[in-house]
Amino acid sequence: MRIGIVGTGFMGTTHAKGWVETPARITGFCAETVAEAAALADQYHAKAFASLAAMLPEVDVVDICTPTYLHLEQVRLAAAAGKDIICEKPLTLDVETGAEMLRVCEDAGVRLFVAHVVRYFPEYAAAKKIVADGKLGKPGTIHLRRCNYRPKKAAGNWFLDDAKSGGLLMDLSIHDFDYARWIAGEVKTVFSTTVGSMDKDAPVDYALTILTHEDGTLSHITGGWAYPAPNFQTGLDINCERGNIHFDSVASAPIRVLIREEQNAPDVGLPASPLAESPYTTELKEFYHAIAQGEAVRVTALDGLKAVQIACAARVSAAEGRPVFLEPQGGVL
Amino acid sequence: MIKIGIMSFAHLHAEAYIQNIRAVPDVTFTGFVDPDAERAEKFGRLFNVPATTDFDRFFAQKPDGVVICSENNAHLEMVERAIDAGIKQICCEKPLATTPADARRIVDLAAASRVNLMTAFPMRFSAPVLEVKRTLDSGAAGKIFCFSASNEGRMPSLYREWFVDKELAGGGALQDHLVHLTDLFRWITRSEVQAVYAQSSQAFHPGEVAVETAGMAMLKFRNGVFASIDCSWSRPDYYPTWGGLNFEVVTARGALQVDAFRQKLTVFSHEIQGQSWVDWGSDSNQAMIDEFVASIREQRPASVSGEDGLRTVEVIHAAYESAASGGVVTL
Repeated sequence: MRIGIVGTGFMGTTHAKGWVETPARITGFCAETVAEAAALADQYHAKAFASLAAMLPEVDVVDICTPTYLHLEQVRLAAAAGKDIICEKPLTLDVETGAEMLRVCEDAGVRLFVAHVVRYFPEYAAAKKIVADGKLGKPGTIHLRRCNYRPKKAAGNWFLDDAKSGGLLMDLSIHDFDYARWIAGEVKTVFSTTVGSMDKDAPVDYALTILTHEDGTLSHITGGWAYPAPNFQTGLDINCERGNIHFDSVASAPIRVLIREEQNAPDVGLPASPLAESPYTTELKEFYHAIAQGEAVRVTALDGLKAVQIACAARVSAAEGRPVFLEPQGGVL
Repeated sequence: MIKIGIMSFAHLHAEAYIQNIRAVPDVTFTGFVDPDAERAEKFGRLFNVPATTDFDRFFAQKPDGVVICSENNAHLEMVERAIDAGIKQICCEKPLATTPADARRIVDLAAASRVNLMTAFPMRFSAPVLEVKRTLDSGAAGKIFCFSASNEGRMPSLYREWFVDKELAGGGALQDHLVHLTDLFRWITRSEVQAVYAQSSQAFHPGEVAVETAGMAMLKFRNGVFASIDCSWSRPDYYPTWGGLNFEVVTARGALQVDAFRQKLTVFSHEIQGQSWVDWGSDSNQAMIDEFVASIREQRPASVSGEDGLRTVEVIHAAYESAASGGVVTL
């Protein structure tokens, strides 16, 4: 299986490390220019391409690690060439585009995977398993917390351009929207407030969202680009009828480093705990086996689309100061 | 010598306050009155103090001040009795009342009789909370944008049955646990709540009680600051303590994370074959009672007012309206 990675930024680099741990081979990288793709191509003994179109004949699977606003066109190209596709989250910036993306892949007969990596983090996967086991009973309230610092970029910071990333709710909180749906099912109502809706010039981004699931479970989602780099904290509480699950990344850090050094934070923070296998690798292995042997994956493209739907509703709620009611199951999705 | 009595032992906080009152130098505890004969007998014996069901006998001890710990819906009646008896210093348990109308009446009665009315908000006296307020007030953290907060606990019927009685308590989790954080955020931001969105359910102990056991609210203040509060009774009966109070405040320069009850020892014992927590932090109930006594001694209003209690009652009322309608309620 030959893999072509589109986008050689932070996520392209992270995915490349993961693919190496699978039987697949990375054969190509492409970025805006050949020069940009060259470094990773050299490192992985792959070819640097000037465009996705040029790379397509030499790969079997396309892994899209580009800014969100570029996803649809790249998926179209790859699907038209009959390639299975892995697409970074969020799938798209709006529901219509996402639905179109799913349709394009279905019509072309290619598989589309969405990289909602949080489902592959062992602490989140373990919590899901405990809930699914049923001993704790039904979840009643859920807290999901994810906060780090504003993504940095040397030039053209697409993360901070709402038209390109969808902002904090779409780019960061969507992880937890997807996870909340995984734990407690479909969402009925979304109410969100953001610092941006209060003060658009604020030097921090922070969003609080209350989701009401169709079964009545309440989820509270905290997302932030507000801490000083390199802090990245995540946390979850799943409070059930017959017990509670609690995780806090700070409290569960097995190592605390108290060494003097110059602050040197990566452009984009990733939550990290020492593990034998990176969650990104776990994720890509699962996608590999799904493509190679047709096995099921824990997160589908439709899940990705539904997460986009919740994030879009949250953005509308924050902008308009009102709850947004989602269409029940069976609507356009 | 300042004399203080307690009106009703319905609220379990009375058990703490009686010890707090006795711990203040130059203060005499005059006893307590409770219309419930069984409670009067039980707690009188437990604390070895004068206890009566007769209000006249209670007031005959001439207390300078009273602390009211009745069921929530009886606060108004207790305040009326105290004011009729000429009491000029009243500290009333939160929530001040179960309806905005009752709370308004309490505040008006106190004002008309020039009574120093304090609402019992002990979290304002929590040492970690005070430290955070000082940091925020100093400007070191920059402008405040929002709070993400939780005041979750066990279902309080564990301590007193009436806490889950709609009539006596005025509701469930929203009534019980929105007040503390709402009051703290009003105090810290110096702004009033303008709009409330709330959701509630019976996720915990379903079917056991007639009130909501889970709730989440989003408050928007007039100055633009917003805050989310989870007030659910989500902690199981065997949780190591009653619950907790946490918040993260996000500012222009980052964030401060507060766990007001983090100052605890973790104790493993053969006796319970497990873990328990032992608080070693400063006693905020004591600091609150100290302030009530200081306000009496110095003949000034206490630092927390009846008005503060009224404002939070209005917010809770709006939260119930929002939870019922599904929409945002503007105050």
